[in-house]
Amino acid sequence: MSITGYLTVALLLFGIGLYGLIARRSLVAMLIAIELMLAGISINIIALTRLVGRDPAVGQVVVLILAGVAAAETAIALSLFVAIHRSAHAIDVEKLSELRR
Amino acid sequence: MNATAVAAVVAQAAPLVACLTILLLLRRRPGLAAGVAIASLVVATVATAFLVAQVAVPNTSSVSQAVWLPIEAGPGLAFGVLLDALSTSMALVVAVITLLVMIYSLGYMRGDPGFARYFGFLALFAWAMLGLVLASNLLQTLVFWELVGLASFLLIGFWFERPEPAAAARKAFIMTRVGDVGFLLGVLLLISSLGNATIPDLLAAAPRLEGGFVTTVAALLLMGVIGKSAQGPLFTWLPDAMEGPTPVSALLHSATMVAAGVYLVARLNGLFMQAHAVMTALLWISVITALASATMAMVSEDIKRVLAYSSISQLAYMLMALAAGSVAAGFFHLVTHAGFKALLFLASGVLIHHAHSNEMRTIAAQGGAPRSGRIGLMAGSLALAGIVPFAGYFSKEAVLAALGEHAGPVALALAYAGAGLTAYYSFRMVFLTLRGSPAKPAGHEAASMAAPVLALSALTLVLGWLGGWFATRLSPDLEHHGALAIGAGPLTALTLAALGILLAWREYGAAAAARVGFVERMPRLRAFFADNWYLDRVYRATFVRATDALSTAARWHDHTILDGASDGLALGTVKSGRVLALLQTGYVQLYVATFMSVVAALAVWLFVGWMR
Amino acid sequence: MTAHGVVTVAMAAVAVAGALMAVGFRNIFHNILGFALAMLGVAGVFLSLGADFVAAVFILVYVGAVAIAMVYAVMLSQPLDQPFVPRSTAKIGAAAAVALLVAGALWHVMAGAAWHEEAWGQTATAAQVGRRFLTDYVLAFELISVLLVVAMMGAVMVARRTGAEGRGRW
Repeated sequence: MSITGYLTVALLLFGIGLYGLIARRSLVAMLIAIELMLAGISINIIALTRLVGRDPAVGQVVVLILAGVAAAETAIALSLFVAIHRSAHAIDVEKLSELRR
Repeated sequence: MNATAVAAVVAQAAPLVACLTILLLLRRRPGLAAGVAIASLVVATVATAFLVAQVAVPNTSSVSQAVWLPIEAGPGLAFGVLLDALSTSMALVVAVITLLVMIYSLGYMRGDPGFARYFGFLALFAWAMLGLVLASNLLQTLVFWELVGLASFLLIGFWFERPEPAAAARKAFIMTRVGDVGFLLGVLLLISSLGNATIPDLLAAAPRLEGGFVTTVAALLLMGVIGKSAQGPLFTWLPDAMEGPTPVSALLHSATMVAAGVYLVARLNGLFMQAHAVMTALLWISVITALASATMAMVSEDIKRVLAYSSISQLAYMLMALAAGSVAAGFFHLVTHAGFKALLFLASGVLIHHAHSNEMRTIAAQGGAPRSGRIGLMAGSLALAGIVPFAGYFSKEAVLAALGEHAGPVALALAYAGAGLTAYYSFRMVFLTLRGSPAKPAGHEAASMAAPVLALSALTLVLGWLGGWFATRLSPDLEHHGALAIGAGPLTALTLAALGILLAWREYGAAAAARVGFVERMPRLRAFFADNWYLDRVYRATFVRATDALSTAARWHDHTILDGASDGLALGTVKSGRVLALLQTGYVQLYVATFMSVVAALAVWLFVGWMR
Repeated sequence: MTAHGVVTVAMAAVAVAGALMAVGFRNIFHNILGFALAMLGVAGVFLSLGADFVAAVFILVYVGAVAIAMVYAVMLSQPLDQPFVPRSTAKIGAAAAVALLVAGALWHVMAGAAWHEEAWGQTATAAQVGRRFLTDYVLAFELISVLLVVAMMGAVMVARRTGAEGRGRW
């Protein structure tokens, strides 16, 4: 595939993830959406460094770092969701907003 | 500093110290307050007498001053004392009359709850007036001029709980303020172009100034004179000022404060004489004022108002003499007038105090007028009418002589007419007050009130002989007639005065008199004279209405536009805040949506063109 | 179209399909499964780009760990017994609009750019990646490890029961 093809795939994943982030009520669903967006970004980086740039190794290094950070973030987020549920008995983001609508 | 400069400073400082002490510390100790005030005036009198002996008698002149504000255009502003025959004589007059009035007030104001405050204000006035007289710098004069106006305001409105004195005080202050604006502008013009306002320097520089400038400055300074001395269009505050206590009227509004305008013209004579047009205007303004106020005195029922109009008229005579070029005549009349007008006011105060009314007919109906009051009223009126050997005769002769030599025949004739009217209204006052009373034993008055009256009565017999003394010192270049010179002028004046007194006798004094004057038989004319020639009505319809309209417009502007604008700004801020608060939902997904949309827009805007 | 291309497109399709499942279905478990499928597809795309190590890591981490962790979190927190409240149409519409806007904008930027495809033909092997990690990017490498340890500890601390709820239960 050409570069634009890969970038289109990445864009699709990003867009779908953005939709999910805004539309879903559950915190876990929002987290899934964020991970989708990160995946799309990863494809972007790999494709660009491989096909357009000069140093594909760097692209892979970056994506690996990104994956590591995402994993750490997911761990924390999930434990936060458990704690939130324990105190608020809900993980519906609409219920968790305390400012006046 | 030499001895005379020290004496001058002491003369001013003593009343100032008294004023501060009384007003700050002695408000609840009226006896002590009066004592302090009188003591300070004794000190001032001694100091000014010393000054007269050391400076006026040998006719020297000196200036002692210190520069406090350097100026680009000249040597800078200095404050200090100017001592010569004119200033020291005036200072002595001020001190003596103030002292006599203070002694008189011990009796007149006894029992008044504001007794201490009264003496404090009198001391304030004494300080300010002496400062005005002895000032070496025109700006310094202006400062004290305004302070004197303040003292006048405080004293006219002394019984401020009543509306009339408060209104009269405001009116006096505002009207004199109108004139003072001119005075200030004149002083500023002088300072900005000459860099100097020291009076001897100004007088020395006067002949070299160009005509238009001198005329403008003189005209502006004259505005201050007209306001302060109640001449021309700015006189209506003085009759209303009679709401104040009678001793205040005696001191401020006849003898000293209103004479400050005359003093200013005399002081700056060298400057004014360079502006011929202004002097001519002054001559005619004073002639008209003299006659107009005499007519108003002829129909007044209130004894103090008669005396107020009389003061306006006599001030006009002084200014006439000055306009005609004779400082000696004008100042001589100022001194004698200070004596006999203060006498008249104090004497009338005795009568008012006894009868508890200002109305002349009421005083007469009461009867039992105390002796000092009667003596004082007679002596003062004889002086006012210009009957020999009382002081007023000599000074009025000097004025008329000056007019005869330097003013036209028309002005002279009108001045003579005014003299006749003066005699008429003064004896109308005497006869209305003292004749037609039921037979009663004379009442008693306080010694503190009788003594000054009698002293001033004696003084009016003596003051007349000072004419020559003033002439040699103040107008050495004019020729001077002997005091008892017999000529056409003096004879005409005496005849007119006698005629005036006779007419008054026939209308008011004789046993079977109707006690109604010839003017009073013409009701429309009487109303015109009695209402200040309708000048107050004119002012009310024009200036007062215009100012009210302006103030209404300004208030509307303030409420609607300015307040509206700032309120509108506040409301707008609140509303926009509420609108923005709609974004603050705490709702993460809204934030994400907003943020990503903006990012997308930015991406397109920043990168599309760039990456082709 | 080469075989390589066909496989790539297929993998891409799988990824997109999985993504759609991940955001579309109502049941959260279906979402998680869709997410796992999407990650498999993404791994396939990486393989077609020659990034084999990254693909392996993605499968191990995301499919193997993250998805499973999400299942655990759902079981510990999601109120599965409560009735389903339908989503508001306005919200879906707005979300779709924003997503389309952003995607459209980005696509416009991308499509309009003049890409210079360097036919390097180079790929980076895992060995090369490893060498880069331990030489040029060793700092990042170490920091990642620290970060992961911290995250682990943090996750444990955040999620433990405190106070009266029970001491020493964790």
